[in-house]
Amino acid sequence: MAESKLDLLQGTLDLMVLQTLATMGSLHGYGIARRIEQVSGDKVLLNQGTIYASLVRLQQRGWISAEWGTSSNNRKAKFYCITKRGRKQLSEDAAHWQRLSSVMGRVLAMPEEGGHQ
Amino acid sequence: MIDWLRQSFHRTRSVFRRAQLDHELHAELAAHLELAIQENLERGMPADEARRQALIRFGGMEQVKEQHREARGLPILDVLFQDLRYAVRGLVKSPGFTTAAVLTLALGIAMNATMFSMVSAFLLRRPPGREPNRVAVVTSINPASGFLADTNPVSAPNYLAWRGANDDFADMAAADESRTVSLTSQGQPEALASAAVSPNYFAVLGVSAQLGRTFSDGEDQPGRDHVVILSHELWERRFGCDASLIGRTIRLSRENYTVLGVMPASFRLLGFTPQLWTPLVLTAADQTAAARRDRSLLLFARLKSRVTLEHARAELVTLAGRAGENFPETEKGWGAAVRTLPDFLVYNFSIRNGLAVMMTTVGFVLMIACANVAGLLLARSAGRRKELAVRIALGAGRLRIVRQLLTEGLVIASLGGSMGLLLAYWGIHFVGANLTFNAAISAVPLSLDWNVLLFTLGVSLACAVLCGLAPALKGSETDVNTSLKDEGRAASTGRSRSRVRTVLVTGEIALALFLLIGTGLLFRNIFLIEHQNLGFRADHLFTASVSLDNTKYKDPLQQTLFARDLISRLQQIPGAEAAAVASDLPATGPGTVTLEIKGRPELPANQRLSALDVLVSLDYFRTAGIPLLRGRTFTETDNATAPRVVVVNQEFVHRHLQDQEPLGKQIRLDVSGSTPQWNEIVGVVGNVKTYSAGTSDDPEVYEPFLERPAASFSLMVRATSDPNSLSSALRDTVAQLDAELPLARVMSMPALIEQQNGGDPFFVRVLGSFAILALILAAIGIYGLVAYSVGQRTHEIGIRMALGAKSPDVLRMILWDGMKMTAIGAAVGLVLALPLPKLFDAMFYGLHLREPRLYFIVPVAILVVATLATYIPARRATRVDPISALRQD
Repeated sequence: MAESKLDLLQGTLDLMVLQTLATMGSLHGYGIARRIEQVSGDKVLLNQGTIYASLVRLQQRGWISAEWGTSSNNRKAKFYCITKRGRKQLSEDAAHWQRLSSVMGRVLAMPEEGGHQ
Repeated sequence: MIDWLRQSFHRTRSVFRRAQLDHELHAELAAHLELAIQENLERGMPADEARRQALIRFGGMEQVKEQHREARGLPILDVLFQDLRYAVRGLVKSPGFTTAAVLTLALGIAMNATMFSMVSAFLLRRPPGREPNRVAVVTSINPASGFLADTNPVSAPNYLAWRGANDDFADMAAADESRTVSLTSQGQPEALASAAVSPNYFAVLGVSAQLGRTFSDGEDQPGRDHVVILSHELWERRFGCDASLIGRTIRLSRENYTVLGVMPASFRLLGFTPQLWTPLVLTAADQTAAARRDRSLLLFARLKSRVTLEHARAELVTLAGRAGENFPETEKGWGAAVRTLPDFLVYNFSIRNGLAVMMTTVGFVLMIACANVAGLLLARSAGRRKELAVRIALGAGRLRIVRQLLTEGLVIASLGGSMGLLLAYWGIHFVGANLTFNAAISAVPLSLDWNVLLFTLGVSLACAVLCGLAPALKGSETDVNTSLKDEGRAASTGRSRSRVRTVLVTGEIALALFLLIGTGLLFRNIFLIEHQNLGFRADHLFTASVSLDNTKYKDPLQQTLFARDLISRLQQIPGAEAAAVASDLPATGPGTVTLEIKGRPELPANQRLSALDVLVSLDYFRTAGIPLLRGRTFTETDNATAPRVVVVNQEFVHRHLQDQEPLGKQIRLDVSGSTPQWNEIVGVVGNVKTYSAGTSDDPEVYEPFLERPAASFSLMVRATSDPNSLSSALRDTVAQLDAELPLARVMSMPALIEQQNGGDPFFVRVLGSFAILALILAAIGIYGLVAYSVGQRTHEIGIRMALGAKSPDVLRMILWDGMKMTAIGAAVGLVLALPLPKLFDAMFYGLHLREPRLYFIVPVAILVVATLATYIPARRATRVDPISALRQD
């Protein structure tokens, strides 16, 4: 079952987190993890816990900010928010990914030349 | 880039906030699980299934925490902390080893830090004032080569000419730094070192007064020139920091001077210690041709912006050359030297070479200390071979092992460095308290400043690497297989390990021998100086010096009268056997004069003969106890109107007259401020050392004081008993003649000589104790090595003895090993030390060290010490019981 899921490339998780926060506003770690799972249709291989290393990294770079707040079930939880610099970074990274994936798409769609070897 | 910086900052910060961050993470993860469980419950799962699913989706809790820590912190730093903890634990477990290693390094580092405080104080401290590097100091180069011949002061006519003709300088000031004035304001008259400076002097240097003001234009004009600026020290000592002194008058050399200002305590030029400054007044007399012989001014000039020092130097060389063409009589061969102010001060103070010798010595001692500690660490790592092998087998990288062992060196070095710093604090006070033999030196305070701190830090780090590297590299080479199999049954230790230690010990021996020979040479020199025959009888002589001021004694006749009167009164002091005055006391380094001998072709300026020149009163030779060898000494009739006569010393006859008949020969002296005349040699006296701190005899000419008196002179009384008993009688005698005339350097001749020889014996003794310390450290090193190898070879020795070797055989074998190392080390050190005498001669003016015996005595002494150090563990080896040795392990 693990083989059928997509392994995450280095850095892609960070981008997903940024995108999630950009569209959803303020969210706690569990919310972000669930959202990514839902959007990907459970296609990515994601241990929910992995998200926390990504969150601290983004926070240290100043792309997201964090604040303790109260969750829907009335528990204390840490809520994350994308910053202005984070949005800028997101637009750059997203553009980069789109270019890369379109190039990859074209390369992989190349017709096979006949008679290898 | 900014993001990267920000992240690095947070990462570093995280390392130190570990507990808090972990706590927060824990809370956050707990919240995560609660939310997940709640959602699962809402989907209708039973409680324990909801929890199980939540945990599965979350992943491994500990991995997540570890990932988080790695992402937020600095894994390298964590490893370092781990290494540090491990190293400290290891060191605490073997306190004996740790104490020995730390103490050894602390001693070495303390010595280095203490000596470096002198480098910092004398060489690295910036002179006061604005941009001192843009201030050039102009001096003359004396064609008659001698000590610091290129920092000869400049004459007034040259100053005036160069100041006017030069385009490179924004402004040029002149200072006569070697004047003396008498201060008679309060209490006893006191002779003070003073400087006469042009009014722009302080502006050129870029300094201002702490209180009041410095000189302004025109205050060097006669009539306006009775103004004075005090040093902070004098203001504090004589006037109790009285701020109302500004604008008041004080009495200097019998005249009233208005105090304009007080300089800050920090205004101090290395090597110059004037207590007050007065304006330099240049009159018409200072512009005559005769004034060219009077070279007494140092020129300070601020370079125009964008003018280089080289350019200024080239221009001044041209100007000096022009003076040489226009005034060949006085200027021929004289050049000009230009240096920046900091360069000039350090060069003129000429302490650099002495400090270089000191620093080399302490550096070598520290290297020996490091070698010892490295040896200790090696021995320890040998004992830990198995532990290292296990760690490597369990997957520790080589680099990790190297880092671990280096960390151990670092911990020892930091402990040694901190302790060394404490010791240095005390050492600096000790050295500072002993640096009082000379006003210029004691004026410079020694302190544990930033330079010293940084230096100590650097030295400690270097020690860490030096101590840790050899064991670390050896340790990382550990071969897992052999080390784990090696059950201590091997006949002897691995060759490569003992080779490293042999190299260390051999190096220590070589360095120690080098140091001992070096300091031995210097010691021998000091011994010779302290026990040499100076050529006169210093005991029972009491001396003082006087400077007659221009106000009351302007005329040479008045000076003669005063001197004559003084001598006759001194002779009547009860307990006085004889009395004399002279421009210089014996063996106090009198000035030199160039000369010509009648009937010889005139020599080019830079090859002219020169001799020491002293003006002496009639009884000088009798009072000092200098023997008359030929002819006569001076008589009452050798006065200003009589034919001019001189007395020369033996060395003069030998060197300048090639031992020909001297009596009746005519010589002409180039004396400053008067037209040269022919003088007849009427007598020959014995040689007196030029300077009590040196061993040289130089040609010397004595002129009669009454023919050509000097304004500054010394007096000398031979006492029938303790010379110090004459002190008050001598002061009274001078006071009766002139109550406002101060006496300087009132002391017995032996005390004066001791002061003159001053620092050298102290420093050589310090150096000597360093060299002995080096020898002891080297002995400990060789002892440690042999003891260790005996310990390692117990098994082998046991086998040998079981096979029939006798105790003496074993003893001989072990001793021979030690001897081999010592012999090789001594040979290397001996070769290194061969050029030392020549090196010292080149470094220190007037030194001529030759002591071939040292090259035999020192190696023998080292062999003896090393044999003793080897003998103790070797003895132990012979007591090995074969049975227990073979059973061991």
